[in-house]
Amino acid sequence: MTFWQILQVLATGAGFTILVTAASMSAGLLIGLAAAMLSRIRWKPVQHLLVAFTFVFRGIPVLVLLFIVFFGLPSIGIRVPPFLSMVLTLGLISGAYLAEIFRGAMNSVNLDEILAAEAMGMTRAQGFLYIMLPQMFRFSIPGMINEFTSVLKYTPFAYTVGIPEIMKQAMSLTPMIMRGLEVYLAVGIIYFVIYKLCLMCFTALEKRYRIPGLSAD
Amino acid sequence: MALIEVNNLVKQFDDKIVLKEVNLALDEGQVKVIMGPSGCGKSTLLRCLNLLDPPTSGRIVFKGEEITRPGVDVRKLRQSIGFVFQNFALYRHLTVLDNVTLALKKIKKMTARKATEKASYELERVGMFEHRDKYPAQLSGGQKQRAAIVRALAMDPAVLFLDEPTSSLDPQMSREVVSVINKLYLDNVTMFCVTHDAFLAKYISDSVVFMDEGVILAEEIAERLFYDHPDPRIRQFYLGVIDMK
Amino acid sequence: MTGMNAFIHDLIAYSPQILTGLKNTMLLMGIISVTGFFGGIAVFYLTLSSRKTCRIITEKYISFFIGTPLLVHLFLMYYGLPELGVRISPLTVSVIGFTLNVSAYNARYLMTAFHGLDRMELEAARAEGFTPLEIFCLIILPQTLRRAVPSLTNQVIQNLKDTSVAFLIQYNDFFSQIQEVASTNFEFFKAYVTAGLVYLALVSVIVVLSRRLEKRIALPGF
Ligand SMILES: Nc1ncnc2c1ncn2[C@@H]1O[C@H](COP(=O)(O)OP(=O)(O)OP(=O)(O)O)[C@@H](O)[C@H]1O
Ligand SMILES: [Mg+2]
Repeated sequence: MTFWQILQVLATGAGFTILVTAASMSAGLLIGLAAAMLSRIRWKPVQHLLVAFTFVFRGIPVLVLLFIVFFGLPSIGIRVPPFLSMVLTLGLISGAYLAEIFRGAMNSVNLDEILAAEAMGMTRAQGFLYIMLPQMFRFSIPGMINEFTSVLKYTPFAYTVGIPEIMKQAMSLTPMIMRGLEVYLAVGIIYFVIYKLCLMCFTALEKRYRIPGLSAD
Repeated sequence: MALIEVNNLVKQFDDKIVLKEVNLALDEGQVKVIMGPSGCGKSTLLRCLNLLDPPTSGRIVFKGEEITRPGVDVRKLRQSIGFVFQNFALYRHLTVLDNVTLALKKIKKMTARKATEKASYELERVGMFEHRDKYPAQLSGGQKQRAAIVRALAMDPAVLFLDEPTSSLDPQMSREVVSVINKLYLDNVTMFCVTHDAFLAKYISDSVVFMDEGVILAEEIAERLFYDHPDPRIRQFYLGVIDMK
Repeated sequence: MTGMNAFIHDLIAYSPQILTGLKNTMLLMGIISVTGFFGGIAVFYLTLSSRKTCRIITEKYISFFIGTPLLVHLFLMYYGLPELGVRISPLTVSVIGFTLNVSAYNARYLMTAFHGLDRMELEAARAEGFTPLEIFCLIILPQTLRRAVPSLTNQVIQNLKDTSVAFLIQYNDFFSQIQEVASTNFEFFKAYVTAGLVYLALVSVIVVLSRRLEKRIALPGF
C-alpha cells in the first residue's frame, strides 16, 4: 500500500469529519446566539442561568461531556445516537464559548445607531435584526474562526462513539497494514488540508463582505 | 393650528428635574432654533417630543393628536419626525444608499426599487448622490451629517429635529451642512434645531428659543436675543458665543 | 437513594486508584503548563527572528499545530514510533505532544500581545544600544507576558481539560480511573458526572489563582 493509497482510504472518513464539524458548529452558533441574546435580559434568574451554563460548558472536558451524553445517559434511560451525542457535546461547548464572543461583539455595537433606528420608528426587534445582528456577526468573525478550528480539532473524539470519521478509519487501517507512522502522518496531513481549505474559504468570505472602517473598538 | 404644541412639559430623571413646565409651539413650515448652555435640557426636550424619553408630565399635541396619552402609536409618531443626531449615528455596516433605504423598505414597506429611487432623489438634493455606495467610515464629517439628514428626510417627516447638527464638525464641514439646512429652510421644511451656532440661529430660523436649566427664558427673533437682551443670563451667554464668531 | 449510597461506596473503595489518577492528571497538567510556557516563549522569540526562513518555519510550525488535532500527534508517537523501534511511555508521549501544541498556542498569544505594544519604546531601546536578545528579555518579554496573562492562564485551564485525552493512549489519568469504577458497577452516568464535577472544581481553583496573579502583576496604566 502506497502512502497515496493510505491517504485515499482515510479520506473516505473526511466526509464524516466535515459533517460532524459543520453540524456541531451550526449547533454551537445557534446555542451561542441564543445565550448571547438571553444575556441582554436583565432578569436575575436568567443571568444566573447563563453564568452557570458558561461555567459548566467552558469548564468540562469535551471527552467527559461526550461520555456523559453517549455512555452515561443510557444508564438513566436516555439513549442518544452517536452522531447526535457528538454534535450535542461540541455544540454545547462551542456554544458556551461563542456566547462570550457574541456578547463581546454586541458590546462593540454603537448604541446610538440603534437609537437612531428607533427614532425613525423601528421596533426594538427591527433595530436588533437590521443593525445589531449584522454588525455583531462581523465583529465576531475572528472568534468564530477560532472556535471552528477548535471544533474541527475535537472531531477525532467521534471515533470513541463509533462514528466512521478519519480517526476511526485510521484505527482500523493501522492493525491491518502495521504502518501506524504513515497512517497517522496521513491523518495529520488530511486534517491540516481541511483546516487550511476552510480557513481560505473564511478569509475569502471575510474579504468579500468586509466593510471599510467597520471594526470593534 | 400648530403642528406641535407643548403644554407644561416636565421631565425628571430620578431626582433631577431637567425640564420645568416647558410651553412651546411649532407651526407648519416654521423653523425654530433652541439655544442655551450645555446641560440645560435641549436634547432632552427633543427626545421627549418624539417620546424617546417619556415625559414625566405635561401635554404634547402633534398634528392635533395628544401623544402624551397612553396607548398612542409611538412608531407612527416617530415616522413623522425626522431626527438628526450630533454624532450622525449612521449605520456603519451599510452604504449611504442603504442607510437611507433601510427604513423606507422596512418601515414604509417600499419595494427595493421604489426605495432606491426615492433615496437617490433625496441624495441628489444635498449633493450626496455620488457618494451613495460609500460606507460611513469613508465619508468626511460633513458628508456623514448630510447623509444622516437625507436618511431622516427620505421618510417625508412632518418635521425635522436636528440636535446640534454641526457641533462635531470643523468650520468647513459645518458650512456644508449649514448650506443644506438652509436649502431645506428655503424649501419650507419644518425644523426644530438645537445649536450653538450663532450663524445658523441668525440666518436660518424664524425664531430662537432660549433655555436655561430646563426653563424657557425667552423666544424671539435672533437679533433681539443676541444683542442687548434685558435678561442678564441671556446677555452673558451670547457675550461668549457672538464674540467667537 | 440506595443506588447513590452504593455508588459512593464504590468511589470510596476505589479511592486509592482515583487519587493516583488525579495525581497523574495534575502531574501532566503541571508539566505541560510549564514546558508549554517556556516553549511558547522560545517559539515567540523565533517569530521575531531577523532571518526570514526562520520566521517562515516558525509560522508554519504554529499553523500546523494549531490546525491539526492533538490526538493525532499523540497517536502518531504512541502507535507509530514503535515501528522505528522507539518505545516511549504514555506520559512521555503526552508531555512531548502537549508541549508542542501548547507552545504553538502560547506563542500565538504572545504574538497578539506583542502587536499591541508601543513600537516607539522598542525603537528607543534599540537606539540606546541594547542587543536584540537584551531587548527581547528586558523590554519585549515582560510587557507581552503581562498583556498575555489572561490568555496564558486560560491555556492552563485548557491544559487541564485536555489532559483527559491522554487516557486514549493508556495514560492512567483521573478520567481513566473513573472509567474503571464505571465499568465495575455500570453506573456510567453517575461516574462521568462525578468526573465532570471534579474537573469543574479544578477549573475553579485555577480561575481563582489566575485572578490573583492578574491582580498582583497589574501595572498602573495597563
Ligand atoms: N438618561 C438620563 N438620566 C439621567 N440624567 C440625564 C439623562 N439624560 C440627560 N440627563 C441630564 O439632563 C440634563 C440635560 O441634558 P441634555 O442632554 O438635555 O442637555 P443639553 O442641553 O442637550 O446639553 P448639551 O448642550 O451638552 O447637549 C443634564 O444634566 C443631564 O445630565
Ligand atoms: Mg444635547
